Amino acid sequence: MTFEEAQRELEDIVQRLERGDAPLDEALKLWERGEELYRFCKERLDTAEGKIEELASRAEAAKP
Amino acid sequence: MKVEATAYGDRKVYSVGAFNRGVSSWLQRLPTVWVEGEVTELRRSDRWASVFFTLKDPQDGSCLGVSMPRGQFDGLRLELADGDRVHCFGRPELFEARGEFRLRALSLERFGLGEHLAALERLKRKLADEGLFAAERKRPLPLLPARIGLVTGNDAAAKRDVLTAITTRFPPANVLVAETYVQGPRAAGAVVEALAALCREGVDVVVVARGGGSFEDLLPFSDERLVRAIADCPLPVVSAVGHEQDTPLCDLAADVRASTPSVAGRLVVPDLAQLLERLDRSRAGLERGTRRALDRERQRLDRARERLRRAPRLLVERRRAKLEQSAGRLRALSPKATLDRGYAIVRAGEQIVRSGRALEPGERVEVELAEGGFGARVEETR
Repeated sequence: MTFEEAQRELEDIVQRLERGDAPLDEALKLWERGEELYRFCKERLDTAEGKIEELASRAEAAKP
Repeated sequence: MKVEATAYGDRKVYSVGAFNRGVSSWLQRLPTVWVEGEVTELRRSDRWASVFFTLKDPQDGSCLGVSMPRGQFDGLRLELADGDRVHCFGRPELFEARGEFRLRALSLERFGLGEHLAALERLKRKLADEGLFAAERKRPLPLLPARIGLVTGNDAAAKRDVLTAITTRFPPANVLVAETYVQGPRAAGAVVEALAALCREGVDVVVVARGGGSFEDLLPFSDERLVRAIADCPLPVVSAVGHEQDTPLCDLAADVRASTPSVAGRLVVPDLAQLLERLDRSRAGLERGTRRALDRERQRLDRARERLRRAPRLLVERRRAKLEQSAGRLRALSPKATLDRGYAIVRAGEQIVRSGRALEPGERVEVELAEGGFGARVEETR
């Protein structure tokens, strides 16, 4: 699952819940799924290290 | 500027300054033109605002002085040598202080560029006909790339601009930089290699960035191999090559064209602060929504319990009401109620008298009223 997919699904779930027409069982399931998606998205942001690496390809690339 | 002459009798005489100003302002009305010639006597100094050279006509040796703003000249990076044939675009100008006529150059191209341009145009049409630049080929950029590939020269400005833009907007971004030749005959091949290397390394999106340069500097980015490599790249490619006005063919083949390296940087990453805010809003909505569903269920349950508790009392009340109704009807039927309305009961012995014929004159009867009664004798019967 990509970040976008997770975020979109999360927002769909929130909309569904806020309409308030889901039966309790389903609402709880949606909530659980939503929390899971939130954790997934948050983790994707938190675990990105933020590093800049150099690809040592210059020598190869320079070959005619 | 007004050009004043002094009158000596019927002779109008101009000062040198006034004359030069007059000619200068008249020259400024002439249109811009292209002039072809050979470059000689190129003079350039970091202390001067302009670069000077002489254009020489190779046929008859005619000469024309040329000046060009130094920044503009340097930006072209033409590396001209004496004798190089050029096309020079500009307008005639008079250097008023010295009364020297010259061409004020706005643009300069090495001769033969027209051929290059025509070839480029042919290539552009050919690739366009193949559909390489078609809008439906363009892929969307990932919202949150795990790793970004950057192809750039050791041209510090472009690289720095992309990296700064990326890390400002999205500090946790991971960038893999492939430094390569971005100028000269090896550049096209080198960029193609770098692109392939980044794809092998596993990135989600590639930025190809190169700062501005002369038309010739940017030519590798219109190289057919390079343009095809960008179009065929399995990953989305953002191209930020040259300045706004340059459109190297790689810009057309890329999925997204950025006007500058900074813009390219901002395009490939999301705004972290905004992203976190949106995520937090979603989570708040999630809690709110779930709580609402729970509250609704609880209320429904409470109402049910309330009804359940009231049920027995309701039952008793309903019975009592029914009982009252029966009692009422019972009372309405009792003889007492009839006596209350003024009727009387007449008895002869134990029998209730319902007919006059059942009595004899002189017979004693008992009369019962609503309150008390009395005894009586029958006078006559009918």
